Amino acid sequence: MRRNSPPAVACWFLDSVVPVRYRDALLGDLIEEYTLRAESTSPLTASRWFWSQACRSVASVFWSSLRSGDWLISMSIAMCVYIAMGMLKFAADVTISKLLAPEQTTYVVLAPVVFLTTTAIGGWVASRIRRGATIFLALIVMITVAVLIDMRVCAIPVPWWYQFGFLTLGPLAVLMAPVIVGAFVPGDAQPAK
Amino acid sequence: MIVRREIEERTGRNISIGAVYATLERLETKGYVSSFTGEPTPERGGRAKRLFRVEAAGTRALQVSEKTIRSMMAGSKSRWESV
Repeated sequence: MRRNSPPAVACWFLDSVVPVRYRDALLGDLIEEYTLRAESTSPLTASRWFWSQACRSVASVFWSSLRSGDWLISMSIAMCVYIAMGMLKFAADVTISKLLAPEQTTYVVLAPVVFLTTTAIGGWVASRIRRGATIFLALIVMITVAVLIDMRVCAIPVPWWYQFGFLTLGPLAVLMAPVIVGAFVPGDAQPAK
Repeated sequence: MIVRREIEERTGRNISIGAVYATLERLETKGYVSSFTGEPTPERGGRAKRLFRVEAAGTRALQVSEKTIRSMMAGSKSRWESV
Protein backbone atom coordinates (compact mmCIF):
# COMPACT_ATOMS: atom_id res chain seq x y z
CA MET A 1 0.00 0.00 0.00
CA ARG A 2 1.33 3.41 -0.96
CA ARG A 3 1.78 5.98 1.76
CA ASN A 4 -1.35 8.13 2.08
CA SER A 5 -3.45 5.83 -0.04
CA PRO A 6 -6.86 4.99 1.44
CA PRO A 7 -7.75 1.42 2.50
CA ALA A 8 -8.22 -0.53 -0.74
CA VAL A 9 -10.84 -2.88 0.73
CA ALA A 10 -12.97 0.04 1.96
CA CYS A 11 -12.70 1.66 -1.50
CA TRP A 12 -13.74 -1.57 -3.18
CA PHE A 13 -16.60 -1.97 -0.70
CA LEU A 14 -17.93 1.52 -1.47
CA ASP A 15 -17.33 1.02 -5.18
CA SER A 16 -19.56 -2.06 -5.03
CA VAL A 17 -22.52 -0.61 -3.15
CA VAL A 18 -22.75 3.12 -3.91
CA PRO A 19 -25.05 3.92 -6.88
CA VAL A 20 -23.21 4.89 -10.06
CA ARG A 21 -24.90 8.32 -10.04
CA TYR A 22 -22.68 9.65 -7.28
CA ARG A 23 -20.09 6.89 -6.81
CA ASP A 24 -17.17 8.83 -8.28
CA ALA A 25 -18.06 12.05 -6.44
CA LEU A 26 -18.47 10.30 -3.08
CA LEU A 27 -15.29 8.25 -3.35
CA GLY A 28 -13.36 11.23 -4.70
CA ASP A 29 -14.46 13.35 -1.71
CA LEU A 30 -13.42 10.62 0.72
CA ILE A 31 -10.03 10.09 -0.96
CA GLU A 32 -9.34 13.83 -1.01
CA GLU A 33 -10.23 14.27 2.66
CA TYR A 34 -8.33 11.11 3.59
CA THR A 35 -5.15 12.57 2.04
CA LEU A 36 -5.58 15.82 3.98
CA ARG A 37 -6.21 13.97 7.23
CA ALA A 38 -3.28 11.57 6.70
CA GLU A 39 -0.98 14.59 6.29
CA SER A 40 -2.35 16.51 9.26
CA THR A 41 -2.70 13.54 11.66
CA SER A 42 -1.42 10.06 10.75
CA PRO A 43 -2.26 7.48 8.07
CA LEU A 44 -3.65 5.16 10.76
CA THR A 45 -6.03 7.81 12.14
CA ALA A 46 -7.04 8.75 8.61
CA SER A 47 -7.66 5.07 7.77
CA ARG A 48 -9.87 4.69 10.83
CA TRP A 49 -11.82 7.80 9.76
CA PHE A 50 -12.11 6.42 6.20
CA TRP A 51 -13.49 3.10 7.43
CA SER A 52 -15.98 4.80 9.74
CA GLN A 53 -17.15 7.01 6.85
CA ALA A 54 -17.41 3.99 4.53
CA CYS A 55 -19.51 1.93 6.96
CA ARG A 56 -21.80 4.81 7.91
CA SER A 57 -22.17 5.94 4.30
CA VAL A 58 -23.26 2.47 3.22
CA ALA A 59 -26.09 2.58 5.79
CA SER A 60 -27.27 5.97 4.44
CA VAL A 61 -26.96 4.90 0.82
CA PHE A 62 -28.80 1.64 1.51
CA TRP A 63 -31.64 3.46 3.26
CA SER A 64 -31.83 5.99 0.42
CA SER A 65 -31.99 3.15 -2.14
CA LEU A 66 -34.82 1.54 -0.17
CA ARG A 67 -36.77 4.80 -0.24
CA SER A 68 -36.23 5.37 -3.95
CA GLY A 69 -37.09 1.77 -4.91
CA ASP A 70 -33.64 1.14 -6.44
CA TRP A 71 -33.31 -2.02 -4.39
CA LEU A 72 -36.24 -3.58 -6.26
CA ILE A 73 -34.33 -3.38 -9.55
CA SER A 74 -31.16 -4.77 -7.94
CA MET A 75 -33.12 -7.52 -6.21
CA SER A 76 -34.91 -8.49 -9.46
CA ILE A 77 -31.61 -8.70 -11.33
CA ALA A 78 -30.12 -10.78 -8.50
CA MET A 79 -33.10 -13.16 -8.61
CA CYS A 80 -32.84 -13.57 -12.40
CA VAL A 81 -29.10 -14.23 -12.18
CA TYR A 82 -29.71 -16.69 -9.34
CA ILE A 83 -32.22 -18.63 -11.47
CA ALA A 84 -29.73 -18.68 -14.37
CA MET A 85 -27.04 -19.89 -11.95
CA GLY A 86 -29.36 -22.68 -10.77
CA MET A 87 -29.92 -23.83 -14.35
CA LEU A 88 -26.18 -23.72 -15.07
CA LYS A 89 -25.43 -25.75 -11.96
CA PHE A 90 -28.14 -28.27 -12.84
CA ALA A 91 -26.70 -28.66 -16.36
CA ALA A 92 -23.20 -29.11 -14.89
CA ASP A 93 -24.43 -31.70 -12.37
CA VAL A 94 -26.23 -33.69 -15.09
CA THR A 95 -23.18 -33.57 -17.37
CA ILE A 96 -20.87 -34.72 -14.59
CA SER A 97 -23.17 -37.56 -13.54
CA LYS A 98 -23.47 -38.76 -17.16
CA LEU A 99 -19.83 -38.41 -18.11
CA LEU A 100 -18.15 -39.45 -14.89
CA ALA A 101 -20.94 -41.44 -13.19
CA PRO A 102 -19.60 -40.24 -9.88
CA GLU A 103 -19.58 -42.17 -6.72
CA GLN A 104 -20.29 -40.37 -3.48
CA THR A 105 -16.66 -39.41 -2.90
CA THR A 106 -16.26 -38.04 -6.45
CA TYR A 107 -19.42 -35.98 -6.01
CA VAL A 108 -18.26 -34.63 -2.64
CA VAL A 109 -15.06 -33.44 -4.31
CA LEU A 110 -16.70 -32.04 -7.45
CA ALA A 111 -19.74 -30.38 -5.81
CA PRO A 112 -17.78 -27.44 -4.29
CA VAL A 113 -15.93 -26.87 -7.57
CA VAL A 114 -19.19 -26.69 -9.54
CA PHE A 115 -20.85 -24.58 -6.84
CA LEU A 116 -18.03 -22.05 -6.56
CA THR A 117 -17.62 -21.81 -10.33
CA THR A 118 -21.33 -21.09 -10.89
CA THR A 119 -21.52 -18.60 -8.02
CA ALA A 120 -18.41 -16.79 -9.29
CA ILE A 121 -19.88 -16.60 -12.82
CA GLY A 122 -23.18 -15.39 -11.32
CA GLY A 123 -21.39 -12.70 -9.30
CA TRP A 124 -19.52 -11.47 -12.33
CA VAL A 125 -22.67 -11.39 -14.52
CA ALA A 126 -24.66 -9.57 -11.80
CA SER A 127 -21.91 -6.95 -11.39
CA ARG A 128 -21.84 -6.39 -15.16
CA ILE A 129 -25.57 -5.68 -15.16
CA ARG A 130 -25.75 -3.69 -11.93
CA ARG A 131 -23.21 -3.53 -9.11
CA GLY A 132 -25.79 -3.34 -6.34
CA ALA A 133 -27.23 -6.66 -7.53
CA THR A 134 -24.04 -8.45 -6.43
CA ILE A 135 -24.77 -7.78 -2.74
CA PHE A 136 -28.32 -9.11 -3.10
CA LEU A 137 -27.06 -12.17 -4.99
CA ALA A 138 -24.55 -12.90 -2.23
CA LEU A 139 -27.36 -12.65 0.34
CA ILE A 140 -29.62 -14.95 -1.70
CA VAL A 141 -26.81 -17.54 -2.02
CA MET A 142 -26.08 -17.37 1.71
CA ILE A 143 -29.74 -17.69 2.72
CA THR A 144 -30.35 -20.58 0.29
CA VAL A 145 -27.30 -22.51 1.50
CA ALA A 146 -28.28 -21.91 5.14
CA VAL A 147 -31.80 -23.19 4.47
CA LEU A 148 -30.49 -26.25 2.59
CA ILE A 149 -28.09 -27.06 5.46
CA ASP A 150 -30.89 -26.65 8.00
CA MET A 151 -33.20 -28.92 5.96
CA ARG A 152 -30.42 -31.54 5.68
CA VAL A 153 -30.96 -31.90 1.92
CA CYS A 154 -27.54 -33.49 1.38
CA ALA A 155 -27.95 -37.27 1.64
CA ILE A 156 -24.21 -37.87 1.82
CA PRO A 157 -22.73 -37.54 5.34
CA VAL A 158 -20.24 -34.65 5.28
CA PRO A 159 -18.34 -32.86 8.07
CA TRP A 160 -19.57 -29.52 9.40
CA TRP A 161 -16.65 -27.54 7.88
CA TYR A 162 -17.61 -28.81 4.43
CA GLN A 163 -21.08 -27.25 4.78
CA PHE A 164 -19.62 -24.16 6.44
CA GLY A 165 -17.38 -23.78 3.38
CA PHE A 166 -20.43 -23.58 1.12
CA LEU A 167 -22.05 -21.06 3.45
CA THR A 168 -19.07 -18.69 3.52
CA LEU A 169 -17.21 -19.28 0.24
CA GLY A 170 -20.38 -19.12 -1.89
CA PRO A 171 -21.27 -15.49 -1.06
CA LEU A 172 -17.55 -14.63 -1.05
CA ALA A 173 -17.19 -16.02 -4.60
CA VAL A 174 -20.13 -13.86 -5.70
CA LEU A 175 -18.56 -10.73 -4.21
CA MET A 176 -14.95 -11.42 -5.17
CA ALA A 177 -15.44 -12.62 -8.77
CA PRO A 178 -16.00 -9.09 -10.21
CA VAL A 179 -12.93 -7.80 -8.33
CA ILE A 180 -10.69 -10.65 -9.48
CA VAL A 181 -11.89 -10.45 -13.09
CA GLY A 182 -11.49 -6.65 -12.97
CA ALA A 183 -7.88 -7.04 -11.76
CA PHE A 184 -6.91 -9.47 -14.53
CA VAL A 185 -8.98 -8.25 -17.49
CA PRO A 186 -8.18 -4.68 -18.56
CA GLY A 187 -11.33 -2.61 -19.10
CA ASP A 188 -13.45 -4.91 -16.94
CA ALA A 189 -12.96 -2.92 -13.74
CA GLN A 190 -15.67 -0.35 -14.53
CA PRO A 191 -18.90 -2.10 -15.47
CA ALA A 192 -21.71 -0.19 -17.12
CA LYS A 193 -23.68 0.50 -13.92
CA MET B 1 -16.56 17.46 0.94
CA ILE B 2 -17.12 21.15 1.57
CA VAL B 3 -20.83 20.59 2.27
CA ARG B 4 -20.06 17.83 4.77
CA ARG B 5 -17.40 19.90 6.54
CA GLU B 6 -19.65 22.96 6.67
CA ILE B 7 -22.47 20.95 8.29
CA GLU B 8 -19.99 19.35 10.70
CA GLU B 9 -18.55 22.72 11.75
CA ARG B 10 -21.92 24.39 12.16
CA THR B 11 -23.72 21.56 13.97
CA GLY B 12 -20.80 19.90 15.75
CA ARG B 13 -22.07 16.54 14.55
CA ASN B 14 -19.96 14.00 12.72
CA ILE B 15 -22.01 13.11 9.64
CA SER B 16 -21.28 10.62 6.87
CA ILE B 17 -20.59 11.62 3.30
CA GLY B 18 -23.17 9.04 2.19
CA ALA B 19 -25.89 10.84 4.16
CA VAL B 20 -24.92 14.14 2.48
CA TYR B 21 -25.08 12.68 -1.03
CA ALA B 22 -28.33 10.81 -0.34
CA THR B 23 -29.93 14.06 0.90
CA LEU B 24 -28.55 16.16 -1.96
CA GLU B 25 -29.89 13.65 -4.43
CA ARG B 26 -33.38 13.86 -2.89
CA LEU B 27 -33.18 17.66 -3.08
CA GLU B 28 -32.11 17.41 -6.72
CA THR B 29 -35.08 15.14 -7.52
CA LYS B 30 -37.37 17.79 -6.02
CA GLY B 31 -35.68 20.48 -8.11
CA TYR B 32 -34.30 22.38 -5.11
CA VAL B 33 -30.67 21.98 -6.19
CA SER B 34 -28.92 21.17 -9.44
CA SER B 35 -25.53 19.56 -9.95
CA PHE B 36 -22.82 19.28 -12.53
CA THR B 37 -19.66 17.22 -12.74
CA GLY B 38 -16.23 18.84 -12.48
CA GLU B 39 -12.89 17.66 -13.83
CA PRO B 40 -11.21 14.58 -12.33
CA THR B 41 -8.09 15.42 -10.31
CA PRO B 42 -5.16 13.27 -9.06
CA GLU B 43 -5.85 14.34 -5.43
CA ARG B 44 -9.23 12.66 -5.76
CA GLY B 45 -7.81 9.43 -7.17
CA GLY B 46 -8.78 10.52 -10.69
CA ARG B 47 -12.43 10.88 -9.74
CA ALA B 48 -14.55 13.85 -10.74
CA LYS B 49 -16.04 16.28 -8.27
CA ARG B 50 -19.78 16.92 -8.20
CA LEU B 51 -20.74 20.55 -7.68
CA PHE B 52 -24.16 21.65 -6.44
CA ARG B 53 -26.09 24.89 -6.88
CA VAL B 54 -29.22 25.96 -5.00
CA GLU B 55 -32.09 26.65 -7.41
CA ALA B 56 -34.83 29.28 -7.07
CA ALA B 57 -37.30 26.61 -5.88
CA GLY B 58 -34.74 25.57 -3.24
CA THR B 59 -34.32 29.14 -2.01
CA ARG B 60 -38.10 29.54 -1.74
CA ALA B 61 -38.44 26.23 0.15
CA LEU B 62 -35.64 27.31 2.48
CA GLN B 63 -37.38 30.62 3.19
CA VAL B 64 -40.65 28.83 3.97
CA SER B 65 -38.80 26.40 6.30
CA GLU B 66 -37.03 29.26 8.06
CA LYS B 67 -40.32 31.12 8.55
CA THR B 68 -41.96 27.96 9.94
CA ILE B 69 -39.07 27.30 12.34
CA ARG B 70 -39.04 30.94 13.52
CA SER B 71 -42.80 30.84 14.10
CA MET B 72 -42.56 27.58 16.04
CA MET B 73 -39.61 28.85 18.09
CA ALA B 74 -41.52 32.01 18.96
CA GLY B 75 -44.40 29.84 20.20
CA SER B 76 -42.07 27.60 22.20
CA LYS B 77 -40.24 30.61 23.71
CA SER B 78 -43.45 32.14 24.99
CA ARG B 79 -44.34 28.82 26.62
CA TRP B 80 -40.90 28.45 28.26
CA GLU B 81 -41.07 31.97 29.61
CA SER B 82 -44.51 31.38 31.11
CA VAL B 83 -43.34 28.20 32.94
